[in-house]
Amino acid sequence: MKPELNFTTIEQMEADTAKLHELACEACTETWADRNEKQTPHCKFGEEGICCRICSMGPCRITAKAPRGICGADAHTIAGRHYLRMAAAGSAAHSDHAREIAHTLLATKPEGPYIIRDEAKLKRVATEWDIAFEDRDVYDVAHDVALFALNEFGKPFGTQVLLKRATKERQELWEREEIAPRAIDREISSSLHMSHMGNTADAEVLVRQSLRVGMADGWGGSMIGTDFTDIMFGTPTARDTEGNLGVLEKDMVNIVVHGHDPAFSEMVVTVADLPELQSYCKSKGIKGINLVGLCCTANEVAMRHGVRMVGNFLQQENVVLTGVVDMMCVDVQCIFPSLGPLTECFHTRFVTTSPICRIPGSEYIKFVPETALEQAKQIVKDAIDNFANRDESRAWIPTSKENATVGYPNEQIIKELDGVTNSHVEERGSYRPVIDAIKSGVLRGAVAMVGCNNPKVRPDYSHIEIMRRLLEHDILVITTGCAAQAATKAGLMSKAAKEVCGDGLKRVCTLVGIPPILHMGACVDISRMMLLASDIAEQWEVPITSIPVVGCAPEWMSEKAVAIANYVVATGIDTYLGIEPQVKGSEQMMQLITEGTRKISGAGYNINTDPDELVQAIIAGIEKKRDLLGI
Amino acid sequence: MKKLFDRVFDGADEMFALAQKALDETIAELGENAPVSMPNTAYHLANHLTYFKRQIMSLKDLRAAFEEDKTWNIHEPDLGSVFKTGYATFAAAEVIEACKYAKSDDPYNGEYHGHLSDAEVRELGVPLVTNDIPGFVVIHGKAPTDEEALELIKGYQARGIFVFLLGEVIAQARRLNMNMGFPVRVVAVGPDVWQVAHIISFVNRAAMIFGAVQPGERWDFDDYTFWRIHAFVNAFDPVSDLVVSCGAGAIAMGFPVITDDPKDMWPVPKSIIIQPDTKDFIETSLEARDIKLKITKVDIPVSYSSAFEGEIVRRDATRIDFDGSRFDSLEWVRMREIHEIEDHAIEIIGPDVEDFEEGERVGLGIVAEVAGKNMLTDFEPVIERNFHNFINCAEGIMHTGQRDLIRIRISKDAFNAGFRLRHIGEIVYAKIKSEYEALIDKCQVKIYTKSEDLKELRTEINKVFDTRDARLASMTDETVDVFYNCILCQSFSPAHVCIVTPERLGLCGAVSWLDAKAMNQLDPNGACQVVTKERVVDEHVGIWEDVNENVAAQSHGNLQQVTLYSIMVDPMTSCGCFECICGIETYSNGVVIVNREHTGITPLGMSFSEMASMTGGGVQTPGFMGHGKHFIASKKFMRAEGGPARIVWMPKALKELVAPKLNATAKELYGIDNYVDMIGDETITDDPEVLMNHLSEKGHPVLSMEPLF
Repeated sequence: MKPELNFTTIEQMEADTAKLHELACEACTETWADRNEKQTPHCKFGEEGICCRICSMGPCRITAKAPRGICGADAHTIAGRHYLRMAAAGSAAHSDHAREIAHTLLATKPEGPYIIRDEAKLKRVATEWDIAFEDRDVYDVAHDVALFALNEFGKPFGTQVLLKRATKERQELWEREEIAPRAIDREISSSLHMSHMGNTADAEVLVRQSLRVGMADGWGGSMIGTDFTDIMFGTPTARDTEGNLGVLEKDMVNIVVHGHDPAFSEMVVTVADLPELQSYCKSKGIKGINLVGLCCTANEVAMRHGVRMVGNFLQQENVVLTGVVDMMCVDVQCIFPSLGPLTECFHTRFVTTSPICRIPGSEYIKFVPETALEQAKQIVKDAIDNFANRDESRAWIPTSKENATVGYPNEQIIKELDGVTNSHVEERGSYRPVIDAIKSGVLRGAVAMVGCNNPKVRPDYSHIEIMRRLLEHDILVITTGCAAQAATKAGLMSKAAKEVCGDGLKRVCTLVGIPPILHMGACVDISRMMLLASDIAEQWEVPITSIPVVGCAPEWMSEKAVAIANYVVATGIDTYLGIEPQVKGSEQMMQLITEGTRKISGAGYNINTDPDELVQAIIAGIEKKRDLLGI
Repeated sequence: MKKLFDRVFDGADEMFALAQKALDETIAELGENAPVSMPNTAYHLANHLTYFKRQIMSLKDLRAAFEEDKTWNIHEPDLGSVFKTGYATFAAAEVIEACKYAKSDDPYNGEYHGHLSDAEVRELGVPLVTNDIPGFVVIHGKAPTDEEALELIKGYQARGIFVFLLGEVIAQARRLNMNMGFPVRVVAVGPDVWQVAHIISFVNRAAMIFGAVQPGERWDFDDYTFWRIHAFVNAFDPVSDLVVSCGAGAIAMGFPVITDDPKDMWPVPKSIIIQPDTKDFIETSLEARDIKLKITKVDIPVSYSSAFEGEIVRRDATRIDFDGSRFDSLEWVRMREIHEIEDHAIEIIGPDVEDFEEGERVGLGIVAEVAGKNMLTDFEPVIERNFHNFINCAEGIMHTGQRDLIRIRISKDAFNAGFRLRHIGEIVYAKIKSEYEALIDKCQVKIYTKSEDLKELRTEINKVFDTRDARLASMTDETVDVFYNCILCQSFSPAHVCIVTPERLGLCGAVSWLDAKAMNQLDPNGACQVVTKERVVDEHVGIWEDVNENVAAQSHGNLQQVTLYSIMVDPMTSCGCFECICGIETYSNGVVIVNREHTGITPLGMSFSEMASMTGGGVQTPGFMGHGKHFIASKKFMRAEGGPARIVWMPKALKELVAPKLNATAKELYGIDNYVDMIGDETITDDPEVLMNHLSEKGHPVLSMEPLF
């Protein structure tokens, strides 16, 4: 009998949210939904990107009557500059995260706490960068690699070293179109400079620079961050886990790690298993320690340790509202300042750990590599001590949770594909099986589902709906970030989800033994997707713009997402957005980001706020690429 | 390059056009009310039953069904439609074949096998579960040379893979005198691609028979064939669109296609594999379908494979005939002390094959002396009974019988290939050591051919047989402490559990209580596990709480209760590969038993196939029960309903087989002499009323028994 799939529905998730809201006291009932209501309607000028606050002559707002700002900047210039600044900020965020990781790599030593776990990957990177590996101490190599990478942030000459991983066609195009990124900091700072009062006013040039600063992220900072994280904490492998609020435990100490930088959360994971803390926990009469992840930190620790995932971006307040979180410790990015007042309303301890992310209402423990282990122990101990302060009368944990199989970086995907090659006729270690499946029509294509949550659309609904529809149409989905967690909450990241797929994708899942949605990591790991698409194009021997592989961010919100969208498009991959970039006030900008970039990189945005229409556009886009290939 | 899916659609359209033509012509010739059926099956046109739940009886039904077939021939560019179109192609192929069978029961005049009977499906149950048949291959088209065709077929045969042939490859094999047929597991199905319908029908019936898959349950069929039928296709260049469309159906079922035709061919992982080197077809195919072979390296000069188990060596092809019916002969497994055995020593005592005249008949003794920490004398006959299977698997060697009634023939071909008596020793040694690894540490084999030695040995062994028989007779369900279950069949029949007791062997006839005990010793966590019988509910009809618990657990909750000695109340289920089936005969209040080999009708108005289709797949069907032949003479045979006195009809051959023991049982239970003579058979009648007269005439005890209902 076909197994019945009782996956959690979006309505059930919303009912959980509503109930948590209902149970909360008046002081803490205000969540993003309430604030969103108060902020709506949003400022039209801001939303359309035509309010210029770049100098103190303004702000200047563009209207029919006042088509130019005081300096003469028109809607196109203002929207273009704003757009570029968002991309630059996004690149800065990912790249600064990566720089922190590079510093951590520099701090690795054999006795820990940070050590080298994936020597093979270190060797690969060292070899790529002409850093001697053989007959050398691994840590000496690691430190040289770290220093080399740190130089990529500020090197005075040349372009990013990792561009060489792309196809020849892309490398030449990037060079020709002058969007090959130079030093990472240079691109960010040039972007800010170009968009300064009195500089570039040509929207086309601003868009071009947006691509370039995005590239500095995707083929620079993010890629370094991902590789180094793998080197230190291990390249993820497939493993089973669970996701959604139901992973919180009533009779255990619940510790939530939230944010993006795994250097911190890895230490918490490591110490939570230590016998001394386990027995300390038992000595208090508590069953055990339940460590769970939130946001992209969840993705990082789930992929490497199977740590369960409590939710994505818009779930962060819900997690606290359950009343059972004894410790919420965060690193960087996507942390609501509202967690300060909200945790004060509960017994929950709220700890910030990075100088990048300081929040009123939190305790700040500056996390440094030298003392990381001890600090992590203290945090876990504090959480255990805090268990006694829990108010059981305010505790309610929704039961919703789903199984997921996560951990499919490129290496794991290849390993899985090796399992379906026939050693008598095919070589291993390539994407050939998936290329053949796409060429024959068994799979129609692949979509990289990425991005955040955004109250501008029904949260998670767009992710889940679009993914379901893609699966039904035999389109393989790869995913990262909050999209990955939406898939997890809806059960779609489980192997059982093959039953919701069309026969083609179902057969592929059965033969390969994978879920229909492959979890590739955190948002910083979208660089993995770029390499995946490049290698597929290379092995297929067609330009990357030809392959029926596209990106989709149906609920994006952060500046990081703007940087990502830019490097995805620059890489030659069409990107489908469910939220309009804030440039609508400029027709020229809208034209440039949807069509104009196609003349530069061969790809562009397709924007539609209706998820149903968006998914139809994706499917049509994929079929069109197939037609052009004659497959 | 023509798209793969378009090739499927075009091929399907070709098949539909052919089917339409055949159907129109046949209806024009025979009229729409003419009956249509395949011989010896209870599953009508099994592919239409599978896909559309249609029970086709007439050409009119077939025409209506064909209209529904067309609704599956959908040309949408997604694999779901392609799979459906593939199935529709099989349905259309079945229409073409059904038209032939509407005109004649044997449209191929023995030249091709065509339709495969239900009995043939059931016969494969045991070898499939034991992995003696690790898979099936369908070979289509024309091999590059006749020699290569033969090499490929024999290569599969030697690996135990069941071979179905379609198309020109049959003529190629025939030109080189390939011995083909169901018993040697190489079946020449038909000359055209549409005879593939018979192979698909065979597979679909396996799913219904062993897997209890219900007609029309597409998901269940797909799941069953994908995971449990290890089949694949070898398609020789050129592969037409028509073949591609059939390939789509095969792939839908989980069967990969391996071909050497690269033209307009699209590789698909584990589904379509282009192997230009046809000499590498076998290994490529086995890897594609994840078939792991159970290989015992036997050092002999001829092929060794389960495919040769059914091979017959005829008199004129015989180099030497070891004939136990005329000369003292025997086979014996004898437990010794470990220090008495030199492992792998093979000793020939007396003249070897070349020392005898061609075609000469003589005696032969095979004595395997074994020792091991876990070995028990009780296991001697368990191992010994497998000599038949061990020796028979060698190509050109035929073995029948057991104990001191054996016959072994070595063919001239095998002799010319270098086969000698030492090789019989090699086979026995290798198989004992591999199959009974956990029991046997050392084994040596002695082979005797001198009549004086054989005479002496036979006297000795007869004493051993007497001791064994006495021991077996003392072993009853009451005297043993535990029963065993057997879930060997669950790879095919996931819901079925056998409870094996001393007086009720497994329904396949292959697993006795001692076999189960030995299997449990070999692997305590394997297919046979101990079932306690401590909490008696009713010992007379055979109900124990612990047995019920075990059945519930092992059937994954599918069954809650079994009554071991009843066919009416919670009877034991069957997997589908049973040797016999009994069913109640309402006129006489008795039961009819029919064995698989009997193709005729019974007084129930049903054949074996039809009765067998009433049960199987782990489903309890009161009034019908599958069982082994040797259970018939058991005192526990339907004891709840009065015992073997209920038997009113059996095929004559079965009666003869069970007569000595059944007569003894009847004498003991009811004081009746020559009870078997009272039972009807096909030479007396297959009509229930005539049978009643016969029973009255003979004074059959059933007539004075309580009604069954």
